[in-house]
Amino acid sequence: MRRFWLLVLALLFLQGSVYAYDAEQLYYKLRDKVLLVKDYTADVKMKVDITYMRIPMLQGKLYFKAPNKMRMERKGGISILPRKNVNLTLNNLIPNGKVTVIDAGIGTINGKAVRILKVIPEDEASGIVLSKIWIDETAMLALRTETTTQNEGTVIMDLEFGKFLKYSLPDKVTITMDVKEYKLPKGITMDYSEVTPSAAKDEKVKNKKGVIEIHYLSYAVNTGLSDAVFKGEEE
Amino acid sequence: MRLLSIELYKIFKRPRTYISFGIVTATALIFQLAMMSGGREFFKFGMQNITEQFDVQGSIINGYLVAYLILQSLLIQIPLLVALVAGDALAGEANMGTLRLVLTKPITRVQLVMIKFIASSVYTVALIVWLAVVALFLSLLIFGAGDMINLKSETFVMLLKDDVMWRYICAFGFACLAMTTIASLSLFLSAFADNSIGPIISTMGIVVVLTILSNLELPLFDAINPYLFTKHMIGWKGFFDNPVPYAAIGKSALVLVVYTVGFLGGTTFYFNKKDINS
Repeated sequence: MRRFWLLVLALLFLQGSVYAYDAEQLYYKLRDKVLLVKDYTADVKMKVDITYMRIPMLQGKLYFKAPNKMRMERKGGISILPRKNVNLTLNNLIPNGKVTVIDAGIGTINGKAVRILKVIPEDEASGIVLSKIWIDETAMLALRTETTTQNEGTVIMDLEFGKFLKYSLPDKVTITMDVKEYKLPKGITMDYSEVTPSAAKDEKVKNKKGVIEIHYLSYAVNTGLSDAVFKGEEE
Repeated sequence: MRLLSIELYKIFKRPRTYISFGIVTATALIFQLAMMSGGREFFKFGMQNITEQFDVQGSIINGYLVAYLILQSLLIQIPLLVALVAGDALAGEANMGTLRLVLTKPITRVQLVMIKFIASSVYTVALIVWLAVVALFLSLLIFGAGDMINLKSETFVMLLKDDVMWRYICAFGFACLAMTTIASLSLFLSAFADNSIGPIISTMGIVVVLTILSNLELPLFDAINPYLFTKHMIGWKGFFDNPVPYAAIGKSALVLVVYTVGFLGGTTFYFNKKDINS
């Protein structure tokens, strides 16, 4: 009997030593790290791959200010960013305030061992129902988030780190999101209908996921961006 | 060449020729004024589907977009303006009683038809060039250049600022071809009439009816739809797609050329046999 209790104690000890932090600690540690970035200005290249959108690669400056201000500037050009809740910032996809954290085990992302956490925010106004976060515990980086929102469906954000690891900021972010259908009456648009073969049309209807890739070329972090930067033209 | 210059002189001497240029200018100015005052609201309506999910920032209402909207709205009016001159080419002479007199000159009837057609085409090209000036260049002057958004029924196309001007040049070139087809149709109808009202109204009637048929896209009309020249007249819009559907545009251009040659052939055939009494 004594041996049995010793074995149980040993297993509990081992469990504790495999995970450096418990789920809640890990989550708050990650959130604190993410929140260290108060603002940044980044040169970016953005590729939008949404079935109904034909947009060339966009290049411009991306301004971010915590908690959720974001603006892309393209020297007089038009920029397109996902709206409000489905913001591109990690800060916005990691729930703030009081949360319930559930340990969802371990997994791998690109061959790296990661801890998986499920986070349920208590604040309903955040618009987030559930966040699932894949965390590289050693580097204390979120490599993937899967956020289920109240109105905007599910957003998956994959982050790749490299050149800007010292700021814990990604080199590349890939956002996969649900997109709503887009349709305008043909009587208004008067399309030149020779263009779209019917097979392509069917494919469009089926595929309702959109992918946005952002390549960060350079960052200027915590420079104290003023709010005026975000009062740009908005259509 | 001398005959052509006489024909052009006749066209451009008439005050009513300039009514067309006035209408094009007025339409463009009205559109530009409307876009200045309420362009954002107007475009917000069209962009509703997009702005539900995306923040679109930057100057959407720019010269390129306004010019595109003007061209789209003039789709129906320009054929009427072309018909005003081309429909009058033979019928007007018949009405004034000068056709017989003209044919006493040492030129064949085919030559006369060809000269009337070339003169009408020159007027058509001049009208399109003027349209380019007031719709595109004036809009660029007022609103400035920028990335262009093209809202199609199932696609949202965005073109970068530096990638738009060549598309307009090609689009205006295509519009010249399409309007030349209308000129040849008017000339064809003009050969049958003794006053110009008939060919002008008939041209418009044909264009309106066929445009409605082209846009209905009902299975009933599926068989004839690809052969309607009105369906191919909007081929200029293809240049504002990404990628540009060159094969489809080429096919449309070919259809328009075939129609133009057909109408011209019909005109010369009938006019050669016509008993000219006036």
